[in-house]
Amino acid sequence: MLKLYATASLKASEKLRGGIIYLLPDIALRVISLVTLLYLWRTLFASGAGQEIDLSLSQMMSYTLLSEILYDLLVIATPASQWLYEGLFLSLYQRPLGVLSQLLALTIGGWIPNLLLFSLPLALSAPLWPIRILPVSWLFLPSLLLCMMVGFAIDLLFACLIIRMQRISWVVTVIRGAVVAIFSGALIPFAALPYGIGNWLQFSPFGALAGAPLAIAIGSPIPWQLILSQLLWCVILWPLLYLFYNASREEMMSYGG
Amino acid sequence: MEVKRVFSLLGLYARMDLAWFLRDTKHCLICILGDLLSNIAAISGVFLLALRFQNFGGMNDSEVLFMLSYLMAMSGIQEIFLRNCNVSYISRRIGRGQLEHMLLLPLPLPLQLLTEGFIPFSGNGTLISGFILLRYSLLRLELQPHGWWWLSLTGSLVLSVVTVIGASYLFATSAFYAPVACEEISSRVFGVADALKIFPLSGMPLGLQITLCSVLPVGLLGWFPCLALLGKAPLGLPGWFPLAFAATLWLITLTLFKKGLRHYASIGINRYSAIGHRR
Repeated sequence: MLKLYATASLKASEKLRGGIIYLLPDIALRVISLVTLLYLWRTLFASGAGQEIDLSLSQMMSYTLLSEILYDLLVIATPASQWLYEGLFLSLYQRPLGVLSQLLALTIGGWIPNLLLFSLPLALSAPLWPIRILPVSWLFLPSLLLCMMVGFAIDLLFACLIIRMQRISWVVTVIRGAVVAIFSGALIPFAALPYGIGNWLQFSPFGALAGAPLAIAIGSPIPWQLILSQLLWCVILWPLLYLFYNASREEMMSYGG
Repeated sequence: MEVKRVFSLLGLYARMDLAWFLRDTKHCLICILGDLLSNIAAISGVFLLALRFQNFGGMNDSEVLFMLSYLMAMSGIQEIFLRNCNVSYISRRIGRGQLEHMLLLPLPLPLQLLTEGFIPFSGNGTLISGFILLRYSLLRLELQPHGWWWLSLTGSLVLSVVTVIGASYLFATSAFYAPVACEEISSRVFGVADALKIFPLSGMPLGLQITLCSVLPVGLLGWFPCLALLGKAPLGLPGWFPLAFAATLWLITLTLFKKGLRHYASIGINRYSAIGHRR
């Protein structure tokens, strides 16, 4: 456990070594992005969108703010895909720790700077906006945990796909980013999508990521169904990952650089 | 910089790209398809919202589609001319200490940056689909564009690309001073631009519109030029405002980039271990 903590600490401090000031442009960009999204919902509701969907403006605002605060936890991105592409993945085999444990520790460590410098101040300032960020239901917590488990599984499955496809890892990364951005519900709540698309997406594996916990946090009428769906995807995806990883790791290549 | 040399190098990179397409057609087509899917996914969210709500702060769904297809065409131009070798994502090359590879070559740095990203065959999927979508959106808008309008559209698209690249290079100068922390700052700029440029700013507060057309110019990538092309230039500004903005942005960027480059020349960036992996 101490080794994992040390690994996570190393990762957390990596980005801070150059000085906090160099993280500020990144944080400023995220804040502007958030403000724009919040005003977008206001504009839409001012145009009469409230009559079209079953969500109120305050629910939409809470959804967006919570999504931004918890983004790293809602849409998991381990270093695996990038490290495979860059040839760094092999270094995980040179250390006296399990590969998966290291990836978990590195990912969690990577969250720390943003959680401390962006998410925490944002959460503390929520009453000033004023937007409610406290979840409506306690089921948000198990849902968030399941979301993270599904997120790790999906991310590592994509990493296995990269191992298989070797030369076109970049494409897998690009497609994954695009698919997750739309289908995870991190940006646009499923309830706001037309033609009932959201009703289907919320039970998909990508919907088990950000969409489920955020919907529960703002008061989804079907929290248990969402949690059961997340649980189901966990039960399907983790054994699949185990099999896929074992079948793929011998094909791993590393060029470095 | 000789114009002839520029075209000669563009031809060279085009031949290399064609060679990839011919020798590894399957993978190349998968890459084209991947880019296409990625760009369609990027604009589909807002288009679905526009379909659902019809009125997007005063813009109807056809106008929103025009803006989204414009943005797709813009991404297509960027992909063809500046996608390869991280030319757009310059903070990666700076932060990884790869700029010195370029400085070793007997070619001026601007000439390399202007030409080595050119991939006209493997990078054309988004541009072609962007123009098809653009044509469809014009039909939906029942517009009958004339020659001058098409010229304005082309100029606007180029200016939008110049603006987003200028913003990327401006933020990337920080990688000269903090290579690890800022290695991915260009991708963050593109990430924020990609996330925000798709939203019509019509109906938003004036302060936010001005901010997003100046400090963080995502509004100048699609929203402003599209409304200007439809004869409704927003904020009471003239249609040539993006040109003036891009010129100013590049003036500032070049000044800071040269300063950063001087710092880099004196300090250097050592990111590679002996076995060729990045630290």
